[in-house]
Amino acid sequence: MKGFSHFMSGVAVASFGPWAIEAARNGNPLFFILGGACGILPDTIDFKFYRFFYKHDVYVEPDPQAPDPQYVADEVARTIALAVDEKRYIRLKLSSVRLGADFWQQYAVTFDNDKLEVAVKFGPVVNTGQVPVEGTENRYPTVARAKIKAKVIQTYDAALKVDIFDGPTIGFNPLPNGDLDLEFLPWHREWSHSLTVGAILGVLVGAVAWLASGWAMAWQCFVTIAACYGVHVVEDQLGHMGSNIFYPITKLRTPGLHWMHSGDGLPNFLTVWISCLLIFWNLYRGQPNMTYHFTFLHLMMVGLVVPGLAFGALRWLLNRGQRVEVAAGDDADDEWNESKAAG
Amino acid sequence: MSPFWIVLLSVSAGTVLSSVLACLPGLHVYNVMGAMVLGILALEETAFAIPSDVFLPAMTGMIVGWAMLNTIPAVLLGTPDESAMFTVLPGQKYLMAGRGFEGTMITAVGGLAGAFFLVCVVAPCAPRYLPVSQQVLKGHMHWVLWIIITFMLMSEWPKGGNRGVAGWAKFYDAWKTLLAGLATFFLAGMLGFILLTRSPVSHEVAFQNIMPAFVGLFAIPWCLLNMISAADVPKQKPAKSLAINGDVILRSVWSGGLGGGIAAYFPIVTGGVGGMLAGHATAQRDERIFIMGQGVSKFIYYVGAFMLLFVPGLNLTRGGGAWMIKALYTPAGKTDYYMILGSIAVASAISYLMMEPLTRVVLRFIDRYNYRHVSTVALAIIIVMVVAVTGWTGLFIALVGTGIGLLPVLFGSRRLNSLGILLLPIACNMSGFGEVITGWLGLT
Repeated sequence: MKGFSHFMSGVAVASFGPWAIEAARNGNPLFFILGGACGILPDTIDFKFYRFFYKHDVYVEPDPQAPDPQYVADEVARTIALAVDEKRYIRLKLSSVRLGADFWQQYAVTFDNDKLEVAVKFGPVVNTGQVPVEGTENRYPTVARAKIKAKVIQTYDAALKVDIFDGPTIGFNPLPNGDLDLEFLPWHREWSHSLTVGAILGVLVGAVAWLASGWAMAWQCFVTIAACYGVHVVEDQLGHMGSNIFYPITKLRTPGLHWMHSGDGLPNFLTVWISCLLIFWNLYRGQPNMTYHFTFLHLMMVGLVVPGLAFGALRWLLNRGQRVEVAAGDDADDEWNESKAAG
Repeated sequence: MSPFWIVLLSVSAGTVLSSVLACLPGLHVYNVMGAMVLGILALEETAFAIPSDVFLPAMTGMIVGWAMLNTIPAVLLGTPDESAMFTVLPGQKYLMAGRGFEGTMITAVGGLAGAFFLVCVVAPCAPRYLPVSQQVLKGHMHWVLWIIITFMLMSEWPKGGNRGVAGWAKFYDAWKTLLAGLATFFLAGMLGFILLTRSPVSHEVAFQNIMPAFVGLFAIPWCLLNMISAADVPKQKPAKSLAINGDVILRSVWSGGLGGGIAAYFPIVTGGVGGMLAGHATAQRDERIFIMGQGVSKFIYYVGAFMLLFVPGLNLTRGGGAWMIKALYTPAGKTDYYMILGSIAVASAISYLMMEPLTRVVLRFIDRYNYRHVSTVALAIIIVMVVAVTGWTGLFIALVGTGIGLLPVLFGSRRLNSLGILLLPIACNMSGFGEVITGWLGLT
């Protein structure tokens, strides 16, 4: 899911703690801040910290002065050969090619398993907004190719396109049948996306809170942090990529439920909106001397069901007879692009 | 003349005036409205007193026209006010692809969709449900500001650290942008503490005291950047179709409505924050939705906040426009509410119709003159506006703001961090420890 959805989910989960509402009414925003922060923290750990310390076996860094697609193809082929020959997991970093303050050389890497080839095509120069610069589309018309030693299996359609800011990491994992499993962004949703790490973080912060303010604050911090961190892991599990739920007990990502892609508009919006409604309900329950009264069902009808039906009807009316095309998403690709686009 | 025609003429005049003013970089509609308020107050109890039937629709029209058309300087001249900040990058992308007209018109369609949403969906429900939400949320506004600050700071991702082996050097390279973002936020926050506690601006224009800082933080750095680095703007191609459909409009309304609605309803949460939230609530795979969502968000932020003042039984004042009206007039029930809603609808239609010719005029201007020169002229206009409204002291504040606003430009961090100027001092004040900080700073 997108960062904002995770963040709002965290705040919503925090609002279920009566202590959070009580503290907020007394001017203390701590638990809500903790909730939101822990809701987004697993992605923060990955994208802001861990990836810069993640070691790679091969770094592909094309020369900005003379970008050479054949060099990239050869290096990718060499990496695959390394994984096949040494029968071990190999990590490859495809670096971006910065040509100037606002210009980047775009390139794409594709695998042709029928011909056992990797193909690299240098595309146009793009600006930081990923808009091609006119006249640069055909600067490198040739497609560089190199033979690869094994088939590369992509379990999802992550486009191996490199352009602005950082380039992606690819992991090649040898399979028993000799093929290689391609893992996009292997540093993402690894140990950070686990319920156990959330619990450990809760214990650590709880211990500090215990020293500072006593037992009540300690367990309240623990519950808030563990629950809000955990909701991120649970939400990510609804997508395709999954998470390493019980690290260090589990070593690999558990595949997700495939209910959605992390960049899909509707699930993200619904998450944010339902979170807002849940926060509202919890604040209502914690508000003394209310002159207005309503039930949870009433709130959901007015806030979710009726607007949802109206929206659905309107969408149907407006789109009758038209083909609505929504770009297909991919969990890793969506989150990777979000990290680059969130300016 | 019947009240109907008086209202219609007033709202039309206000809309046309602000639509034209919106094309001038650096000038904010609230500056003009502030001057008008002073004029109206001066004429009170004289033979030339201006009745509320005239100034209420006129000012509604001004806010609507501004909310719709301030996209033009943001997208075509690169001089956004804070609420239009998020339209600049995608807008300039359109401009550099020769599609500036399309970019501004997509935002305008978003504004029109926002008007429909506000008048046809929000307005009928508002008198019934907003007083309930107000009762529930009172006492909780402060932490909403804090979580917005938290999200704003946490959701900025590093942009460096792209090459080289893993390790601290790479980490530091990546974090330079984030550290610059944090520095921007806290420096802007300190400036905010100073301006809100001991503003050096003359008390006669006290309601404008934050304006020069905003201009310095947001508009001037864009102008300078354009002057230094602007490439030649390619020939602009008029679009035959905007390639939008009902689905794009609906999805823009849901994201922009959420972002703009939060910005309109919660105090101090500005249009820029609304734009950020709208952007984050949008499926990013379709850029049209992002741009149109910004149009919706901006419209709902300005006009929705103004409308809240008139919602019967709510008694909520949000946004500069509402505060200025409150100095002149106390809304009186449903009659005023319906008049304002009608004015919003009429003004939205007029301003949307004005969008196309005014965009063409500005595009012709850009076509004729070098973009660097256009930016230089825009900067000159901005400086003249600041000096005219707030004097040399205001210009000094704008320069300080520019220094802070240039940090994100130089380091590539998020410009929205400059909003620390309002968010930090107000959040501290609302949580009850603002005075401690002003004490540390020697301001109180």
